[in-house]
Amino acid sequence: MRKVFNLFGATAMAASLCSGGLAGVARAQDVPPGDAANGKRLYLATCFVCHGRSGQGGAMNGPAPILAKTAMPFDGFKAQLRQPINEMPAYSEAVMSDQQIADVYAFLQTLPGPLPTKDMAIFKD
Amino acid sequence: MSRRRPPHDPNRRKFLKSATLAGAAAVTRPAAASAQSVAPRANLKAAAPGPIQIALESSPPEKDPQTQTTSGGDFMVDVLKTLDIDYLAMNCASSFRGLHEAVINYGKNVKPEILTCNHEEIAVAMGHGYAKMEGKPLAMICHGVVGLQHATMAMYNAWCDRVPVYCIGGNILEANKRGNSTAEWVHSAVDIAAGVRDYTKWDDQPASLQHFAESAVRAYKIATTPPMGPVLLSLDAELQENPIKDAETLHIPKLSKVVPPQADSGAIAEVARLLVNAEAPLIVVDRMARTQAGMDRLVELAELLQCAVMDRFGRTNFPSRHPLNQTFRRNAVVGQADVILAIEMNDHWAALNAFHDRIVRTSQPLYKAGTKIISLGLRDMYLKANYQDFGRFSDIDMSVAGDGEATLPALIEAVKKLIDGGRKAAYEARGKRYAAARFAMLEQAKSDATIGWDSTPITTGRMCAEVYAQIKDEDWSLVGNTIGNTWPMRLWNIDKIHRWNGGSGGAGVGYNAPASLGAALANKRHGRLTVTFNGDGDLLYVPSTLWTAAHHRIPLLYIVQNNRAYHQEYMYLQAMANRHARGINNAHIGTTITDPNVDFATVARGFGVYGEGPITDPKELAPALKRAIAVVKRGEPALIDVVTDPR
Repeated sequence: MRKVFNLFGATAMAASLCSGGLAGVARAQDVPPGDAANGKRLYLATCFVCHGRSGQGGAMNGPAPILAKTAMPFDGFKAQLRQPINEMPAYSEAVMSDQQIADVYAFLQTLPGPLPTKDMAIFKD
Repeated sequence: MSRRRPPHDPNRRKFLKSATLAGAAAVTRPAAASAQSVAPRANLKAAAPGPIQIALESSPPEKDPQTQTTSGGDFMVDVLKTLDIDYLAMNCASSFRGLHEAVINYGKNVKPEILTCNHEEIAVAMGHGYAKMEGKPLAMICHGVVGLQHATMAMYNAWCDRVPVYCIGGNILEANKRGNSTAEWVHSAVDIAAGVRDYTKWDDQPASLQHFAESAVRAYKIATTPPMGPVLLSLDAELQENPIKDAETLHIPKLSKVVPPQADSGAIAEVARLLVNAEAPLIVVDRMARTQAGMDRLVELAELLQCAVMDRFGRTNFPSRHPLNQTFRRNAVVGQADVILAIEMNDHWAALNAFHDRIVRTSQPLYKAGTKIISLGLRDMYLKANYQDFGRFSDIDMSVAGDGEATLPALIEAVKKLIDGGRKAAYEARGKRYAAARFAMLEQAKSDATIGWDSTPITTGRMCAEVYAQIKDEDWSLVGNTIGNTWPMRLWNIDKIHRWNGGSGGAGVGYNAPASLGAALANKRHGRLTVTFNGDGDLLYVPSTLWTAAHHRIPLLYIVQNNRAYHQEYMYLQAMANRHARGINNAHIGTTITDPNVDFATVARGFGVYGEGPITDPKELAPALKRAIAVVKRGEPALIDVVTDPR
């Protein structure tokens, strides 16, 4: 179920609300619908500075985690923005609403994430 | 013999002239200054000259010598040759014209050979990079006042990085020897070193040529004795320019290099005992290895113990792909360790503690209670009061003074004596766990580097993977890197001391470009392919470094990681704005380098350097790198402007 969510983002989540019965669905029900297009706009205006335009992660004082297809549950994701641990600055409601956080979360699920490296010649050394 | 000056003594004439001017000044004081002022009389006539003044005005001037056969500068060149100084980096200035002329003519511009730089910061930083790669300093010379102030940031970098740079400043000490009022004459100083003394290891202002010879050798010896650092000699222009007197009495002292201090044998035995008996010993190392032998010895020690090693990358201390290299597992290996040996660390605290840059700054140790922490190195012997380069004071259980590299052989022998067969199985099991973790880290790094693989702007992971693919079969040497770019350390096989030579030390922007060039100059004679990643902001401090590269035909693959920002500050500004809940949409103001975007390939071509870019499509990167490397292999510098994601 998680995989489905990752592939299809908020749309798949909405569909899963109707299916019921699976543990993954119960988790997905906690994720408010997000507008990935708006999330992309927000992400590329703010979050990319530390986490990269592709959600590849980066570094500030310490590492800025990879966010592409983040496996962090939405509640944890939101909590990290509101009351972050480590170096990340807090995003208050005045700066980013709950809906905007959901939009960003939806956008992150649309990012391609890592490629399989096994057959990439560039990594054979 | 009369003690009186002859009437035609030119100095005497100047004195009289000055005295006359002083009298004139007294006469022309404002009327208000005189309580008894009177109206000037008309038709005032000068008094008739007396016999002395008539003699002064009518005597022929003393013969002014037109040429000289020796100069103090010549002797100074002899001293520099004795010290085997290969290069003298400089931006020309009149306060050292005497030595400059002696170097190019008397010294034939060989040992030292002049490196023409367009900024004193470039000259010092070239010395910084050169010394780390060649293992010995080059010299730089500047105007002692206006040039030295340009040089200061680079000197601070070298001091923080414990690197010897042999700095010289020209000065015109005696005010009565100064000529017209242009800058080189009037802008002298009583003590040019005063402004840099807190980040130089030693300085002197020789008063004679013999004094210079002794101070020059002393300065070299001090600079190259661990803990190393920059030194400064102030050279009076008269001393450089005037004929040598009593040449037969001048003597250049012998340079005997100091054997780096090894730690106390009792302390070494105790360190060995703690390491051998530990369940999970950890070695943390920063600026330890000066030579390949130092790196090899650390490998030998780690393999004896099958312990984890964490490299802070102040130098290449430990092979990046060695199975025991656990650098990117800091929290895990520090948290598990029961004995930590920290060698030549600049900042123990930062390596072993977690710090949170929040409104209330908090921190906690990453190590568990009871962990024994041992410090080995010379850091405690190298502090100054004002300009600082240290963080919080650390809890250390055992501080051992001694040069890390010099102490390793004795420590290895002490460890060997204590290891018995009964520990072998446990050690091997420990080593296997670390090896598995290291392999997993490499695979994870490769996977992480593929995120955003085809994105524009190009990710730094893709950029570093593409560069490594082009250089990995060469004898490559990475001599510069951008802030936060750990991809080379995660992905590349850094297996030799010259593969990576550490960062700036003082974090002064403007280091990377010239220090990379200095390192490339050293690598040139070894036939290495030198490559550097430099931020766009760094290059904008010292762009004329490219001209020096072209002028002196120094081969260097210069890759601009062009994220079009001073990005660390961009992130800090976002954090500050979030702290005030003001939104972070304005954080680009004052931090980004856009509108217009800088075209670094064009800048490079303007300085006579091969330039390509801006490259925004990652598919164009490999072909561009091939073309640039071909240029570098011809013995010339080449620049590629890669437009990248921030980090």
